[in-house]
Amino acid sequence: MKIIAVLTSLAATALLLLPGCGKQQTAAHHLKVGVISGAEEQVAEVARQVAHDKFGLDVELVTFNDYVTPNAALADGSIDANAFQHKPFLDQQSKARGYHLVVVGRTFIYPIGAYSKRIHRLAELPDGATIAVPNDPTNLGRSLLLLERQGLIQLRPGAGINATVLDIATNPRKFKIVELEAPQLPRSLPDVDLAIINTTYASEIGLTPPKDGIFVEDSNSPYVNLIVAREDNHSAQSVTQFVQAYQSDEVLAAAQKIFQGGVVKGW
Amino acid sequence: MSLPVFFLLLNALWQTVLMVMVSGAASFLLGLPLGVLLVLTRPGQIQERPIFHRLLGLVINAGRSVPFIILMVALIPLTRLLVGTSIGTAAAIVPLSLGATPFVARLVEGALMEVPAGLVEAARAMGARPGQIVRKVLLPEALPGILNAATITLVTLVSYSAMAGVVGGGGLGDVGIRYGYQRFDAGVMAAVVVILILLVQTIQFFGDRLVRRVNHRA
Repeated sequence: MKIIAVLTSLAATALLLLPGCGKQQTAAHHLKVGVISGAEEQVAEVARQVAHDKFGLDVELVTFNDYVTPNAALADGSIDANAFQHKPFLDQQSKARGYHLVVVGRTFIYPIGAYSKRIHRLAELPDGATIAVPNDPTNLGRSLLLLERQGLIQLRPGAGINATVLDIATNPRKFKIVELEAPQLPRSLPDVDLAIINTTYASEIGLTPPKDGIFVEDSNSPYVNLIVAREDNHSAQSVTQFVQAYQSDEVLAAAQKIFQGGVVKGW
Repeated sequence: MSLPVFFLLLNALWQTVLMVMVSGAASFLLGLPLGVLLVLTRPGQIQERPIFHRLLGLVINAGRSVPFIILMVALIPLTRLLVGTSIGTAAAIVPLSLGATPFVARLVEGALMEVPAGLVEAARAMGARPGQIVRKVLLPEALPGILNAATITLVTLVSYSAMAGVVGGGGLGDVGIRYGYQRFDAGVMAAVVVILILLVQTIQFFGDRLVRRVNHRA
């Protein structure tokens, strides 16, 4: 399975290499990879170690605290690759900012889920409950879609993955939707009835989707996380090696330990 | 501009005004006495306490060094205690007030230092007690400077309040960041910037008018 994935990615990169030999900014044995600080950084740290042990590749992890700058840094060449986002977010950012970024590998799915300190089952959610959601474009839309799938609200038709609170068409149970910075959501739990939290931040306070989630995204989510590089370096050996290092059993084991089972292998 | 966006902006303007005014008042309530203390305990002043003065200065500097976004998260337990929740506009007012307090203290200190030493000296020679000197000489004489400091504080709070979105405080800055910056909605971004410019101009206009009215030296 792994070998097939590796061969496929190698074949794909070989094909993509053919048309244009863009400028090679990546040094052969050094790679700067952008990640989000916190638990994902710890996982990437294992990938860094694997890359070092298996390929002698020197990976430098650059940590970010938001979701907009890692792509800007990648696009302007400050880093060589990043591992933090899923396809819908990449598409939205690329379209909006004209980035030419290339997906080089898949990592994990961190399902977004609803957590609470006040209720134990969805049925206990009172009318007029306060529901906290992340305030960045993608996670907000993702959370609203999840709420819609649970039948709690209804979005305007065609609102899509970038829905905002302005797209809520009906809210019969008069839920109060509060938009917060994503890392802030775990801290808001004592103050809200329900909070939609990314696994990355939920795991920081020991919450895992299968065990603690009131409801969680389906496992066939389009929101699988990706390793992304640029058009001019996506076929570089160092990038391919880092992808291989990331898609290793060591990283999987580490991720499952760090996220206490709240993570699904994406490759 | 669609109607929902109009109401979004209107609501955000209200949230910003609320945050700026309440935290401005609160930070002055706390910062003004601190500024007075800083001046009185200064070496060579009427209540000199060099060690206390230095310690107070250290605490104030420490308060000014904490990045606002960290202060907001660090103060969550206190915020919950004071307003009952850690999220929302009221919750954002607590860190805004405490964040601005050391800033106000330094500005007030600066304003009080501008009062000619001779005036304090004269009051003292006439037998005024320290409390009287503060209330009847220092504060009235420094009033234009203090009102100027208040104007600067309010304008600074307008930009500080842009970070209130982190704790769901809303406000114009939050709308600008989330709809303008993150979603590349140039229309909303422009509207937010224009409203902010108007807001700051208004604050400065009334601040300047007040300063001119109380200034008897000019």
